[in-house]
Amino acid sequence: MNGAARRMRHGGWRVNGAAVRAARGLALPVALLVLWQVWGTALHNVRMPVPTHVVTAAIDLVGSGELPLAILQSLSRVFMGFAVAAVIGVPLGLLMGSFASVERNVDPLVESFRPIAAIAILPLAILWLGTGTSAAVMIVAYAAFFPIVINTVAGAKGVNATLLRAAATMGLPRLRTIRTVVVPAALPAIGVGLRIAMGVAWTAIVAAELAVGAKAGGGGSGGIGQMMFVFYAYSIELNRIIVCMIAVGLVALVLDRLLRAAMRLSMPWTAS
Amino acid sequence: MPQARLRGALPVLRYVRTMAVFFIVWAIVARWTGNAILLPSPLAVFGALVDLARDLELFLHAGISFGRMLVSIAVGALLAIPLGLAMGLSRTLDQLVDPLIEILRPISGIAWIPLALFIFGIGNALPVFIMTYAGFFPILLGTIAGVRGVDRRLIDAARTMGVPQRTIVTRVVVPAALPSLMVALRLGVASSWTAVVAAELIGAPSGLGYAVEWYRELLATPQVMSFIAMIGVLGYLCDLGVRALARGFTPWARDTRAGA
Repeated sequence: MNGAARRMRHGGWRVNGAAVRAARGLALPVALLVLWQVWGTALHNVRMPVPTHVVTAAIDLVGSGELPLAILQSLSRVFMGFAVAAVIGVPLGLLMGSFASVERNVDPLVESFRPIAAIAILPLAILWLGTGTSAAVMIVAYAAFFPIVINTVAGAKGVNATLLRAAATMGLPRLRTIRTVVVPAALPAIGVGLRIAMGVAWTAIVAAELAVGAKAGGGGSGGIGQMMFVFYAYSIELNRIIVCMIAVGLVALVLDRLLRAAMRLSMPWTAS
Repeated sequence: MPQARLRGALPVLRYVRTMAVFFIVWAIVARWTGNAILLPSPLAVFGALVDLARDLELFLHAGISFGRMLVSIAVGALLAIPLGLAMGLSRTLDQLVDPLIEILRPISGIAWIPLALFIFGIGNALPVFIMTYAGFFPILLGTIAGVRGVDRRLIDAARTMGVPQRTIVTRVVVPAALPSLMVALRLGVASSWTAVVAAELIGAPSGLGYAVEWYRELLATPQVMSFIAMIGVLGYLCDLGVRALARGFTPWARDTRAGA
């Protein structure tokens, strides 16, 4: 349908398509917010969170520096765990994708542990490393490892066979072939793996901190997950919990966008 | 013929070989550590697994978790598939609902746990809510993508032949979108199963996640590891089940390995 036909459908009014789309997009969220505000106020319950109180809670939490600090603490754990996963996962994936013998021997191990959710090993991580940062980092690394390995293997296997044969014909040693042929060709797949892993890692850190908060009696490990649990269990501040939820969503969104932008800049030839 | 049979058995042999090496390394490290609470030997874990299986505790918790997941996926699919079909077919509805979806989607199911704990308390409702939420988005997005991916010419052809709109949806759009719907269901099950452990660990009086945490508090590491293994096995079986379902419903579609 072209522009003219679309305008015709709106009864001859010259309506800007973008404005209509924006209005439609805002309609439902705004309507729900208003409904929530009205309903929440009508209940006359101090505990009932309403949008206006959520906003004041957000200003409080950001202004006092509590929320940014908690987010930074969680992020630092995510980056540490993510780095561990990438440093192990990418080379291992490249080797598995390039050498059939490596894949044959390692793949059973990867496939056996992959269905075990990262949170499931949290009790073991607490047992081995306590309730502090190292246990959280272990969970994040475990969660991020699998998307990275699997996508790297797929990328390394997807390298154009002609390129590999050309490299072999020119007498390139296998390891050098990996560095000069396989890595550049597999880069987009590795990028996808890293991006998925980052999302998974962020979910895992929130879960790990929440569970540590819940099970270790708020034992001072910090992070946004723990902060949410404290608001639930000790001070019962639902407005603040909702602020934290929004922050969790925003950080996830920003991380994803940043990684997408980084991929686009570093690999302009791929169309994501 | 025997050669073909040998080739079929080869992956199994390789699997057994790798896992045997893994268990031997584990046993050596366990002996070297010499701390049965930190790292019990594989034999101790196997013994605990057999005991837990014998008094059915293992299957009881597994059954509870699995039942919760079935309910969650059923509810999630019942909400997400019709909405996804409608959003895929109607651009107006898509423009209305999509922003809300995009606002909620980055908030992981796990981040809902504290609020949901307050609303539902500890019990069945909390894990089911968290798992339904976790499973909803992959199913919805997959359904929308599936509907959008339907060959326009098929719909146009049906329309030319005077097929009414409702029949077009049920006879053309749904069958054509079914393969991506099955992939979406698979992702939904995986995401929902990941959430079960977190939800049960924190807010349920039963289930695999609860059992893992319960035995950790007792410092019964062999039992902890048994339940962790059960989480993995059941997760794997769920995936296998959905794939079998996909093959049954859409035998023409190629089995795809998801990226996550």
